[in-house]
Amino acid sequence: MIFPTPPSKFFKTKNMQKQLTIRDWILYSLLSLLIVLLLLTMYQIDRQWLKLTEMEAAMYEQSKDMRELHSSIASGALPAASVANASAAKDVAPAFKRAQAATRLPDYAQGDWLVDPLEANLKTLTPLISTDGYAATVQSFVQESLVTRDPDTLEWQGLIAKSWKVSDDGLTITFQLRDDVTFSDGVPLTAEDVVFTYNFTINEAIQAPSDRAALQKIKEVKANGKYEVVFTFNEPYFLSISLAGGSAILPKHFYEEYLKSPQKFNESKGLLLGSGPYKLLDPKNWSPDKDTVELVRNERYWGDVQPAFNRLLWKIIQNDSARLTTYRNGEIDSYIARPVEYQTLKKDEQVTAKSQLFEYMSLARGYKYIGWNQERGGKPTRFADKRVRQAMAYLTDVNRIIDEVYLGYAEPAIGPFGSKTKQHDSSLQPYQFNLEKAKALLKEAGYEDKNGDGVLEDKAGQPFEFKLIYTQSVEDYKRLVLLLKDTYAKAGVRLIASPQEFPVLVESLEKKDYDASMLAWGGGLESDLYYVFHSSQAKEGSNRNSYKNTELDKVIEQARSTVDDEKRMPLWQQAERIIYEDQPYTFLVRTKDLLFIDKRIANVQMTKTGLNFGGLPQENYVPLYQQKYKQ
Amino acid sequence: MLTYLLRRLLLMIPTLLGISIVVFTVMALSPGGITPQALTSGMEMKPEQRKAIEDYYNKRYGLDKPAPVQYLHWLNNVSPIGFISDEQGNRGEFSFNKPMDLGTSFQYGRPVSDILAERIPITLLLNLVTIPVIYLIAIFVGMKSATDRGGSFDVGMGMSMLALWSIPTMLAGVLLLGFFANIQHFQWFPTSGISSREALDMPFLPHWGQTGFVRGFLLDRVWHLVLPVICLSYGGFAALAKLMRTSILENLHSDYARTARAKGLSEHDVLWRHVFRNSLLPLITISAGLLPSLLAGSLIVEYIFSINGMGQLAVEAVKSRDRELVLSITWVSGLLTLIGYLMADFCYTLADPRVSYD
Repeated sequence: MIFPTPPSKFFKTKNMQKQLTIRDWILYSLLSLLIVLLLLTMYQIDRQWLKLTEMEAAMYEQSKDMRELHSSIASGALPAASVANASAAKDVAPAFKRAQAATRLPDYAQGDWLVDPLEANLKTLTPLISTDGYAATVQSFVQESLVTRDPDTLEWQGLIAKSWKVSDDGLTITFQLRDDVTFSDGVPLTAEDVVFTYNFTINEAIQAPSDRAALQKIKEVKANGKYEVVFTFNEPYFLSISLAGGSAILPKHFYEEYLKSPQKFNESKGLLLGSGPYKLLDPKNWSPDKDTVELVRNERYWGDVQPAFNRLLWKIIQNDSARLTTYRNGEIDSYIARPVEYQTLKKDEQVTAKSQLFEYMSLARGYKYIGWNQERGGKPTRFADKRVRQAMAYLTDVNRIIDEVYLGYAEPAIGPFGSKTKQHDSSLQPYQFNLEKAKALLKEAGYEDKNGDGVLEDKAGQPFEFKLIYTQSVEDYKRLVLLLKDTYAKAGVRLIASPQEFPVLVESLEKKDYDASMLAWGGGLESDLYYVFHSSQAKEGSNRNSYKNTELDKVIEQARSTVDDEKRMPLWQQAERIIYEDQPYTFLVRTKDLLFIDKRIANVQMTKTGLNFGGLPQENYVPLYQQKYKQ
Repeated sequence: MLTYLLRRLLLMIPTLLGISIVVFTVMALSPGGITPQALTSGMEMKPEQRKAIEDYYNKRYGLDKPAPVQYLHWLNNVSPIGFISDEQGNRGEFSFNKPMDLGTSFQYGRPVSDILAERIPITLLLNLVTIPVIYLIAIFVGMKSATDRGGSFDVGMGMSMLALWSIPTMLAGVLLLGFFANIQHFQWFPTSGISSREALDMPFLPHWGQTGFVRGFLLDRVWHLVLPVICLSYGGFAALAKLMRTSILENLHSDYARTARAKGLSEHDVLWRHVFRNSLLPLITISAGLLPSLLAGSLIVEYIFSINGMGQLAVEAVKSRDRELVLSITWVSGLLTLIGYLMADFCYTLADPRVSYD
């Protein structure tokens, strides 16, 4: 191109033909093949290098163990420790009782892997900065907290903590820690680590806003000696034990360096180390670009009962049908089904032959509801009238919704508390569908069909119609709304369905620019009504419908500051009765979990909280003759 | 030539600016907008956590400032020419070669460049396998049907290509999975991902081990790619084969082909020496869109086969209103489209000596 253009036509044609000879083609393809081979070789060498570093790390770990062993033998500490261990084996801590019972089953065996699906890609595994439930599941096997809930009695019981004491004013909690707990790298867990966890979380530079918000009630955390921690609260708070003892303990020696470079922590992909029965092979370098998450057995686990599985593996499979096929092929051990799917799969022999079926209501399940906006643009809406809201509750045929939308795999939500929790008043019955009562209530509130068009009008002559906003991404909601529209029409109430994209929905909620909204709240073993129903939260908080009841406010405040369970539960029940009467929400349903678990997983049982599958201390195992993975 | 190249390169700058302005405006005007509320879109989040998170996002990403300010801020960070800003976001001195910063993803909380670096190799691998497959099959089928016009091969291929072209990828993917990865039918291929867990412990190349044949990392990867590549390629080669056939037929009946025949050249020579090269021109035109599509990825295929590629990333980013990520992806793919057109224009000069830019 820089050369002068060739004068002769001959040159050009010759050049043109030359490009096309077969020999050139072969030459080029050989060249590109060579390049590809070179790249592959480089990649291969890279893999070898990675493997080598992995082995090096393992070797280092082993030699460290050996050194420790030597030194303890030399100092004569070992015999004493082993004796202590032997006596401890007879008398395990209450938290391990259930797991110990599992080990005594005739076909109990250690070994094999547990392979579960994950429905979405993980963003990060680092605690505090991860926000999704999937990461939390993985973390729960690696990091442990001071106390856990007993799945049978739902009482708190010690895990890392041996015992604890709440002061009479409810402001301080003193935990006594076990002295034999070590992290998976062999460093002992002490009170210092508990204090560090608190200080690390409340550090403004760490990206943990929601955890930090939860910890605001705590005034300070102090270590009192090596195995005693004292939590001091600003005010008595009913969730103080779960707040102080329920969060995972971060090892100080591992996370401390990130206080100097918080940016590195906030942008990390997988910094995860703890005292739990499983660990990441490389606690610093996990990365989400693999298709799996893999935890290996923590060989140094301090617990009284060792876990059964050698490895835990999570396969990330986003597509529903791919996940089902993978389950059919036996490559994953559990599968969560949607109601429609569950009904067909129940009749599918290939699936039922290899599965244990579970349909159950988890105790901590959240609820779906319709929230009635009571204030719009500073003026009360028609839903500010209690009689109208009660009428809507009578008009909402929850049983039909359960039958037709959820195929029976749900239960009516009576109030904000699950029907088996202690917060719930079991004397309350769900509002039954009652057209006459609803009509009577609406008439009392001044609604009548004056012009005979089938739609009620209020005193000003405006028709009773409202727009229901809900998220368009949930398939069940579409059918639910159609059903509601149909039943409301029977009483002359016109529902205008308005499915919205989630960010748009949230914007309408923020601006309080809607008539009614269909949403869901997450649950818990004990939920706090303050954020959703207290009138102080109406302006900017989650009480988006501007529901106000001073009596309820008082009861909620009183319940929150009562630390004693016996005294608090009646208060919650009282609050629930007020909400039941007021119906700020029309409570819809709590859905059941529908789960298939591979038959080779043994000892899967129902507990009070739900299923003992996938919890800790591990109670499931695979009998020897059914074990698949040898490694 | 050099001035032409320079002109084209300089023209890219306003084009890219335009792209970013349009994308930014669309994002800012979208219902819901870029507000911290939209970013905390966990359906079942505890109410007390929500507010804390919203405040945090406002502070960290400056989402409470007016949109034009946000745009200029972004532009300054992305371009190599601009003000250097420090950690707190204070404006420093003007520089002509400051580092380009694509920003931090809202959703991931990590630098966008890191996320792209994770995803791009996967999509690239998938497409580098797919595109040669598409072109080889398309050229082969197109040639064969054109020379055998009206014959059984032509008719059969014409019909099956049309049929293939009309099958939606979503359906094809699910059917392929259901039949060729299912224990009830033929469990020949894996259901998800691009490598299996076992492969991580295998040597790279396939070999015979003590326990029999070990497929090795390489074959395992190939094995995982079979179904996705089929899914990605069938639509492409079906369309291109039709195009190739028409193009060859057209050239076979043109004057220069007749002249060549009259000159006494054999039909083989006419086809390969003269017609083939000219028939490639429409394929080159199409390949201009190739470079961006190399990185764009395919949402549907990635979703069905659980592959973490760019397609999923882009859609996820749009859905969750992750502005920095959306802007970066469109920006990168815009750049690649422009480069693709430039390269296609150069390929014309190679295939067709009549084209020149002097």
